[in-house]
Amino acid sequence: MKNEFLKNWDTQLKKGLLPFFVLQALNQKECYGYELIQTLKDSLGIEVTESTIYPLLIRLMKEDLLIHKWVEQQSGIPRKYYFITEVGKSNLAEMQKSIVEIIEKIQQQ
Amino acid sequence: MKLIEFKNTNAQRIYTDYINRSKRVIRILSNEDQEDCLMEINSYIFEYIQNHQNEDETSTLLNILERLGSPEITLKEVVAAKKIDQAVKTFNLKHLIEALFLNLRNGLVYIVLFVLTLLLVCFPILIVMEILYPEETGLFVGEKTFFFGMTDPKSGIQEVLGSAFIPVVILLGVGFYFLIVFLLKLVKNKKS
Repeated sequence: MKNEFLKNWDTQLKKGLLPFFVLQALNQKECYGYELIQTLKDSLGIEVTESTIYPLLIRLMKEDLLIHKWVEQQSGIPRKYYFITEVGKSNLAEMQKSIVEIIEKIQQQ
Repeated sequence: MKLIEFKNTNAQRIYTDYINRSKRVIRILSNEDQEDCLMEINSYIFEYIQNHQNEDETSTLLNILERLGSPEITLKEVVAAKKIDQAVKTFNLKHLIEALFLNLRNGLVYIVLFVLTLLLVCFPILIVMEILYPEETGLFVGEKTFFFGMTDPKSGIQEVLGSAFIPVVILLGVGFYFLIVFLLKLVKNKKS
């Protein structure tokens, strides 16, 4: 059972790592917003709402890490698919390296 | 944009109200950006409802609207980011002021840029004042001081630009404008 401090710390940690998880998920396959939320929940156990993911995706696009494409659907309501760019992939690799370094330092202690 | 149709009239009213609130928040964006934002919000609502079809329509709608949050808060960052892009692309002073105002909270550089823009807005006023009150407007130089703008002519300082004041203000205005756009592009590129 986690106390309040650990719960907050856990939330902050996941929040900080969210751009990494989003890039990692999109590196596996392109997704639309709702699908990405479900992927984060099912594969990584991260609960994230639309109010968090939408501004984050816009921020990542602004940084040229993602691009998007609207895809028409039979329903008449198109889906906005997000794709990782080459810049996004190289940033993801750097982020992975940093995370591995942190984990190694923790394990050395 | 195709709107979602609900069987329940209350759900339809709640949805329409949310879309209208979103429209109000994004109305300062270009038509293309407004359409993109609305389509994305609409898509989030539609996909969520499609995946919760067995549940009560109104409850499902309220759940997704709660997850999306208030448009005034959720769309704030999106609008600020898109407005900067629009200002840099169009070179339009109106978009520039709106973009800087929206990004004031995003760092000191935007505050500096906003002050520069306010000064830029003052230049046309100075030109009008120079025409109306030529004795009190100009570049005044004293023994240990100088003043650019309007001041009391009896304060013992001398105006040095004379009829060159208006061309100097115009040149300064053009210079300030390009400096602001250049700094804005620099900030944008540094972030990327």
